[in-house]
Amino acid sequence: MDILRHGHDTYGEQVVNGVSWDLLPVAFWAGIAVIVGHLIWRALSRRGGRRRSGGGA
Amino acid sequence: MSANGESMVRHAAIDRAFHWGTAITMTLLLATSLLPILGVRFAWYAIHWISGLVLTLLILLHIVRALFWQRPRSMLLISAADFRSAGAGKYTLAQKLMHLAWATAILVAVVTGLLMLQKAGVFFMERDPYVRSPGSWGVITLLHDLAALLSVFLILVHVYFGVLPEKRGYLRAMLTGTMRRSELTVEHDLKRVDRGE
Repeated sequence: MDILRHGHDTYGEQVVNGVSWDLLPVAFWAGIAVIVGHLIWRALSRRGGRRRSGGGA
Repeated sequence: MSANGESMVRHAAIDRAFHWGTAITMTLLLATSLLPILGVRFAWYAIHWISGLVLTLLILLHIVRALFWQRPRSMLLISAADFRSAGAGKYTLAQKLMHLAWATAILVAVVTGLLMLQKAGVFFMERDPYVRSPGSWGVITLLHDLAALLSVFLILVHVYFGVLPEKRGYLRAMLTGTMRRSELTVEHDLKRVDRGE
């Protein structure tokens, strides 16, 4: 997976053209990972809260 | 934020208009920039730069309003109280961090986008790609791209937290302007809220 897009200037030197679009799915899945992580943390903390209040199984 | 019985005004109409205007323009900007990369071909450029200019105007108005009509410290300043349970002022620590992340992404995107207008050309600015070296344009484009990627991440996280049942009071406040004081007591210190902190 590339991190950057490259091109060449008029002298043939390699220059950065921007971010590689291979990183677009990375940004998307990083967002999904935060959401899933928070949903898991939320479910666990709610279960823990119910147990502490005596309402859990 | 002023109290009116149980219901409190959290966001004035102009601030809600700014929020939803920014949401629409950001959606247009990301759609017009990223859909062509994903293979959806259409005439994206005019929609992109017009949306970018609208976003620039919205950001300028927001900065002026925040500086002269609001208390920027309530959003920008992070204090020890923000880390305490139910100790937040008007905004929670998570909301302040989200604002900081959005501010970074949008300001980088706006500044680099305005510079890139000269490379691509618009009807009020003559195209002149030779005003900067290819390397300089590359760095400007790199920053613009990074802002876009950060925005993709932030939209997902922002929308997720906006629709969570326990956070829905904030979403309602962004739609109607008001929020119940009882909803705020979960995460906020009402004394700090009333002081405008």
